[in-house]
Amino acid sequence: MTHTLHRSGTVESLSIDYPVLVIAAQGINSKDSAPKFRKALEIILKHNPVNFGDMRTGNYFRKGLKPILNSTKENSIVHGVFTNKNDLEECLKELKEADLGLSVVVSGLFSEVWPTLKNIGLKPHSLNISLGVFGKKELLPEREILDITTMCGHHCVSPLLVKKMISDIKRDKISIEEAARELAKPCVCGVFNPLRAEELLENILKKPGGQS
Amino acid sequence: MLITDLCVGCTRCVPYCPSGAISIGKDKKAHIDRNKCVECSVCYNNANCPVNAIQPEELEWPRSVREVFATVYKEHKQTNVPGRGTEEMKTNDVTGRFRPGEVGFSVDMGRPGVGVDLKDVEKLTMALAKVGVEFEPLNPLTFLMSDKKTGKLRDDVLSERVHSCIPEFKIKEEKFPEVLETLQRVSKEINSVFSLGICVKVNPDGSVPIMKYLNEHNIYYLPNGKTNIGIGKPAAKF
Repeated sequence: MTHTLHRSGTVESLSIDYPVLVIAAQGINSKDSAPKFRKALEIILKHNPVNFGDMRTGNYFRKGLKPILNSTKENSIVHGVFTNKNDLEECLKELKEADLGLSVVVSGLFSEVWPTLKNIGLKPHSLNISLGVFGKKELLPEREILDITTMCGHHCVSPLLVKKMISDIKRDKISIEEAARELAKPCVCGVFNPLRAEELLENILKKPGGQS
Repeated sequence: MLITDLCVGCTRCVPYCPSGAISIGKDKKAHIDRNKCVECSVCYNNANCPVNAIQPEELEWPRSVREVFATVYKEHKQTNVPGRGTEEMKTNDVTGRFRPGEVGFSVDMGRPGVGVDLKDVEKLTMALAKVGVEFEPLNPLTFLMSDKKTGKLRDDVLSERVHSCIPEFKIKEEKFPEVLETLQRVSKEINSVFSLGICVKVNPDGSVPIMKYLNEHNIYYLPNGKTNIGIGKPAAKF
């Protein structure tokens, strides 16, 4: 489940992209963990996430707040996505203080995440590092499309849907914000960053004939 | 997944398919290419078909394999973990699965967004087995192997295509160059892609030996990744 590992993009674009994940080790600390997952979600919600969800229930844009909060299970994996380091830091600080015993994983630029951990007296414990894509890369969509679709690591966000959204924005059928929200819906886990998607869509649209 | 005769050809579902498996036929109705379809249910769950023409179907073995590797919130019976892999480094602070001097690999086959034939997956798992890799027993893909020692998959699943699957294993750090070379070689022999991830335990002094190796050998890695922040309990002893 490396669903937040291979997010592509420039350093500048990734600097507003910090998914946080909370998980139990099945068979070790998962027993009676459902209320702890709810507590973790409540903490995440206090710090301005642009998306959130539970892998067992779905994301905010499809399920809404209450069904996610009220459905946590012992094998939940809950997520929140933050767009600035202050919110990230405050959330991690509160998760640390809550001492839920669950594992917490932060995705994002190592150069930004590690100093954030240091600020709250934590150190990286283990890392997951992406060595990139191998194989028939000619089968991949354009890089600017991938920067959007890889925000759903399970690849439930279709490159064709990105192109459809761009076309609809150009024809004034939909706003950029609405397009970003529509793109966030298929990402079950709630790790798709709609704010970053807006920026990426804007950049595509600025280019002459961008994805026309 | 099926599109029934109720379809009015509005085309709404077409762009939602991550595999590009839906198209409009000469009859002006949407059709699903059964070879390309990986049974992910994204069209059913998100396209809001105005006439409910998209319907799930009861899948029989071996086609049901596609659904298992594509439907995110279905947990795997053997692991109780939803998704296509395992907890890998996400719970390493509690499980101690990856220890100092070890490197975990997750080979995200078919990602990003291409999909992969299981016969191509077998090429990779058999090549890895030849260099002595032992596959993670709790990974859902390992359950499809008829011989875990050789990486051979069951014959009856080889014609199936999945959205993605993740051969997972760990090795001693000194074996890293040999395994990476194997992965690079097989990547040229498959009709798909894979995204490669490695897991490591950070040393108490904050150093990451594998990063030193990657830098010294000019091996590309992304500036972003996942960091386990080490607050899970009970803490694994290292």
